[in-house]
Amino acid sequence: MDDAKDLVLVVEDEPQMRRFLRASLGAEGYRVREAWTVADGLREAAAEHPDAILLDLGLPDGDGLDLVRRVREWSSVPVIVLSARGREEEKVAALDAGADDYLPKPFGTKELLARLRVALRHARAGAAPGSPILEAGPLRMDLERREVTVDGRAVRLTPIEWRLLTFLASHAGKVLTHAQILREVWGPNAATQSHYVRVYMAELRKKLEADPSRPRLLLTEPGVGYRLADGPRSAIHR
Amino acid sequence: MIRPSTTVTRGRHRRRSGWAAYAGAVALVVGTTAIGAAGRAVLDVPDLEMLYVVAVLVSAVYLGRGPAVASAAVGVLAYDWFFVPPVHTLDVADLRYLFTFGMMFGIGLLVSSLADRARDAAVRAESEALRGTLLSSVSHDLRTPLAAITGAATTLRDQVVDEGTRRELVEAICDESERMERMVKNLLDMTRLAAGAVVARREWVPVDELVGAALSRTETLLSRHRVRTEIPAAPELVSVDPVLVEQLLVNLLENAARHTPPGTEVLVRASGGPAGLHLEVSDGGPGIPAGDEERVFERFHRGGRATGQGAGLGLAIARAIAEVHGGTLRATARTGGGASFRLLLPGGGASPTVPPEPDGDPGGTR
Repeated sequence: MDDAKDLVLVVEDEPQMRRFLRASLGAEGYRVREAWTVADGLREAAAEHPDAILLDLGLPDGDGLDLVRRVREWSSVPVIVLSARGREEEKVAALDAGADDYLPKPFGTKELLARLRVALRHARAGAAPGSPILEAGPLRMDLERREVTVDGRAVRLTPIEWRLLTFLASHAGKVLTHAQILREVWGPNAATQSHYVRVYMAELRKKLEADPSRPRLLLTEPGVGYRLADGPRSAIHR
Repeated sequence: MIRPSTTVTRGRHRRRSGWAAYAGAVALVVGTTAIGAAGRAVLDVPDLEMLYVVAVLVSAVYLGRGPAVASAAVGVLAYDWFFVPPVHTLDVADLRYLFTFGMMFGIGLLVSSLADRARDAAVRAESEALRGTLLSSVSHDLRTPLAAITGAATTLRDQVVDEGTRRELVEAICDESERMERMVKNLLDMTRLAAGAVVARREWVPVDELVGAALSRTETLLSRHRVRTEIPAAPELVSVDPVLVEQLLVNLLENAARHTPPGTEVLVRASGGPAGLHLEVSDGGPGIPAGDEERVFERFHRGGRATGQGAGLGLAIARAIAEVHGGTLRATARTGGGASFRLLLPGGGASPTVPPEPDGDPGGTR
């Protein structure tokens, strides 16, 4: 596995959770560092330069979201938030604060490893020179030639649909909040008009999905936002 | 708010109030006087006193404090007027009778407050009993998967088992943990809804997105059913809380998956507009026994054919979510067999507009 030696920083105060994470990450070949508080987590993040951070929100000395904001001041390391609170507002807050993904507790190993792989891949893709081809499952976008195909079938998009799909496809597998999408596609003045996104997503689904009422590609995360399914590529690893 | 399907039947304990109770108290005194007059030949004056005391006691126990005092007052007057010498005057010859009057008032007050306390205790006992039933139901539902998990985990820790058994036990741990997680989530949702802590956070959402999100979440569960959707092609916006309504729909779909045999059809029909959201989930299962159309929404109610899953909260939660939106959710028998759940959520007026964009060039050229 290409990311076998990646270093993962686990910031979690629950010893049993750390035990489980250590075991499942270790079994997958990751190196693991552990911290139990916000202060320790920040120190470890600065000193060890981890490739990814798994972060619990309820820490004894503060809110995990503070750690995300502080780390974001100097690093774009992928952060996956683990939380037992599970409310949609908190997911949105974590993602808007700069977390890359959110995993509600309880979660299974398979889910955790899949999300971690997606996050690590995005981090690497962001560092490498951009490719003009975006692929996710049956979807293929050629950014240079401005062409979209689904299973080889060409699809015509309006300019807004194109911008929306490009944004989603360049973050395939990652949840994007309504606010993030609105800022990117419509600009900062549209940040509260979440029905814009919803209407255009409905249009995109009609063009891209075999059955728009049972989407396989453009997935809804209720109350949070949207995620472009990462498709078979990550399924091979599972 | 949630329908108090399992609340204490308070009606039985409620005493009659208002003028009816006072009229009753006066009627009791009139009756007592009539009996006294009829029995005057054989009854002594102190015996008559006892008759009036009985009238006051009856008022105190069954009619409450006010009517008890009223019956004591009217009783004293009637007793004095009709029976205490000198008769047909309100004069009192013997001071002893003043003591009697005082006693009658005292008895009325004391007994009526005792009766009040007893009534409160009875209501409390019933709600305690109800809470006990809920608790034992919940703890049974949580302990069942927990017992399986503990059993499997300790077997793996303490015994040597072959590979096949190991896999089986590990599967059991995963399945039962998932089941427990679902129950805990349902219990928390139900508690929040029942406490009135949930407010619908309305947003404009296309109907097909609500249905799509719920269908993706129930895909595995419904993999052996034929799922069909009937949704208008044009995106219709409705003003609802997307998280809650998706949950409601998932619960209806889970209910269908659980109570109908594999291979049968599940139909989701949805439409929306300024008038609101109309949604229907119909199945081809055994249906709902006649007369049970309301009971299926009760907390901890489990249909006869349920496969031992869940705590019987799914439909109660679904209805509570409908009510949070000021809407209704009803179950009906479907013509030709099966059950049908109909949701009606009132709308939020004219839907907002989305600014149009110039016609896009092929391939999305900007």
